[in-house]
Amino acid sequence: MISKFEWNRRSFIKGAAVLGAAPLLPGGSMAQQQSDPSQQIPEGQVPKKPLGHTGVQVSAMGLGGYHLGSAETDQAAMEIVAKAFDHGVTFFDNAWEYHDGLSEERVGKALKGKRDQAFVMTKVCTHGRDKKIAMRMLEESLRRLQTDHLDLWQVHEVVYENDPDLIFAPNGVAEALVAAKQQGKVRFIGFTGHKDPEIHLRMLSHDFPFDTVQMPLNCCDATFRSFETQVLPEATRRGIAALGMKSLGGSGELVRHGAVAPGEGLRYAMSLPVATTISGVDTMQVLDQNLKVAVNFEPLAAAEMQALRNQCRFLASDGRLELFKMTTKYDGKVGREQHHFPTTEELPI
Amino acid sequence: MPQSSSGTIPLRKFGRADAKVSALGFGGHHLGEAPDAKTAIEMIHQAVDGGITFYDNCWEYRRGKTEVWMGAGLKGRRDKVFLMTKTCPHGRDGSLALQMLEESLHRYQTDHLDLWQVHGMGFDNDPELFIRKDGAAEALERAKKDGKVRFVGFTGHKNPKVHLAMLNTGFPFDAVQMPLNAFDATFTRSFERDVLPELTKRGIAVLGMKPLSGHGDAIKRGVITAEESLRYAMSLPGVTTTITGIDSLNVLHQNLQIAQNFTPMTESEMNALRDRCKPDAADGRYEVYKLSLRFDNPEARLAHGFPLDTQQSEVKDMLGAQENTGHPWPEKQF
Repeated sequence: MISKFEWNRRSFIKGAAVLGAAPLLPGGSMAQQQSDPSQQIPEGQVPKKPLGHTGVQVSAMGLGGYHLGSAETDQAAMEIVAKAFDHGVTFFDNAWEYHDGLSEERVGKALKGKRDQAFVMTKVCTHGRDKKIAMRMLEESLRRLQTDHLDLWQVHEVVYENDPDLIFAPNGVAEALVAAKQQGKVRFIGFTGHKDPEIHLRMLSHDFPFDTVQMPLNCCDATFRSFETQVLPEATRRGIAALGMKSLGGSGELVRHGAVAPGEGLRYAMSLPVATTISGVDTMQVLDQNLKVAVNFEPLAAAEMQALRNQCRFLASDGRLELFKMTTKYDGKVGREQHHFPTTEELPI
Repeated sequence: MPQSSSGTIPLRKFGRADAKVSALGFGGHHLGEAPDAKTAIEMIHQAVDGGITFYDNCWEYRRGKTEVWMGAGLKGRRDKVFLMTKTCPHGRDGSLALQMLEESLHRYQTDHLDLWQVHGMGFDNDPELFIRKDGAAEALERAKKDGKVRFVGFTGHKNPKVHLAMLNTGFPFDAVQMPLNAFDATFTRSFERDVLPELTKRGIAVLGMKPLSGHGDAIKRGVITAEESLRYAMSLPGVTTTITGIDSLNVLHQNLQIAQNFTPMTESEMNALRDRCKPDAADGRYEVYKLSLRFDNPEARLAHGFPLDTQQSEVKDMLGAQENTGHPWPEKQF
């Protein structure tokens, strides 16, 4: 098992030096935070990794767009983006439907002047509707993101059993992906979903030229309805870049229920053969925790990964910590509407 | 609506066993929606007189209320019916399941059950937890050997794969309960397609449930009528009984009328109905019991470490039980 306090040598030395220098002020939370070596982000950058066969490199950690919309103020979100960027995060996730556009607006504002150095993704939220609606959403996303093109445009939340059929129906959103790419409005295309590896495999079986596929990857997933064992190898085989998400269960379920320490969970996800691991950040504290793992990241050894899978096996076995697979908790409002499902209030889980 | 004071409902053979049950079964959960014990008892009396012999229930429904009401309704009529309830260890030990059996027998005021089933097999690890040493499988065996139950089975509404894994444990089940309706028929997770033929092959009694797909939303939206739904489920080749929720005398009378005049749908009628329901079946919108925790009781959620839902009737009952009424005796006993 990997210790929660296993830091690389440089961060340990740096942290220890600060600890030695700072006066110990019990009760002073700021002082405690400053003197806590675990709060120190090592010098260096988040490493870059190839995005499948695209020839493009992206940061090994991506900044999740949903939680940027949950940050308390625009200012707080700007600061999160700026700091992440300074430490080498170039991959910015988003979706047309997050916080009714607020998440996209915030990223657009925060990346002003830095657009060309960033890899900007957002997702289209047709949820079964046609190409025309998709293209309208694309224009709205571009406007909110204050850019003339996206680096990656993905079909959002492919989680309902009939979604693949609807996506590939004549005049469906798959045609919009192709058109947008042809028009130069998006460089790469993909899809996302958090529910069922079988749905992902059905999507891939269409042999559509996806550049990316986004999926939940964490140390519980490894042994339960597993994207890691069923979808990841298939994506790799096809040369499609895998984008990991929900490394701690979506709302930190894996950590809250004691399956893993946060650093461990994140390191596990980032050590898989993925292009990036998208992680939600709504406060500076969370960003710092993430950067501590991601800056100068080095993958876990195979034996360490197996130890984490074993450690999580019991809690993984009924899906209790992966509620996105087992319940409607993480199914968004627009998708529910389009599929005539009860609202979040009516059917929370 | 005619009062079906007496009538007959077709009887069907209970799997390979030497027993017969009515083609329509009385679902225990909805009995708890009756306004009071008196109405519930009247519903049971009329159901027995109307020809329903199969009575469904469960240890964890409404914190015991539905078993108590059903038991009261069946007083003096016990021998006319085929009485079932379910036990709710949800992966915990067989000894717990046996304690629940004693409570159920006490609430029912009877010394034996015709059928005792393990409730709510829906999580991927349930089969493994069921068949393990000291698991619920040993309780089923014990209860049967002790003569406290005639037959044993399991139920679940979530995933055909879990049902098949339960069958593959090799345990000798007499009955299996599962959702069977015109939406299930064409959904990717279909009990009709994947589990029903396997049960028929093994000679296990097939107990259909959720003929109106749980809450009847499809009926409210006009996709299908109640009569079509019920007739479809009852017409499936191989099905032993179709358990349907009955929460009022009115609903009882409607069901009795359909069941007493039951003629099976033809294969082409059934196909036409499957085709009509197919577009709405494709994403599971009317079968949320397969895709959410809505129909998973707190006992199951707690045993498996899932969150509770305060909107659920059983959770409301649990919370209600903390009230201090200040009365040493309940004002009304259930």
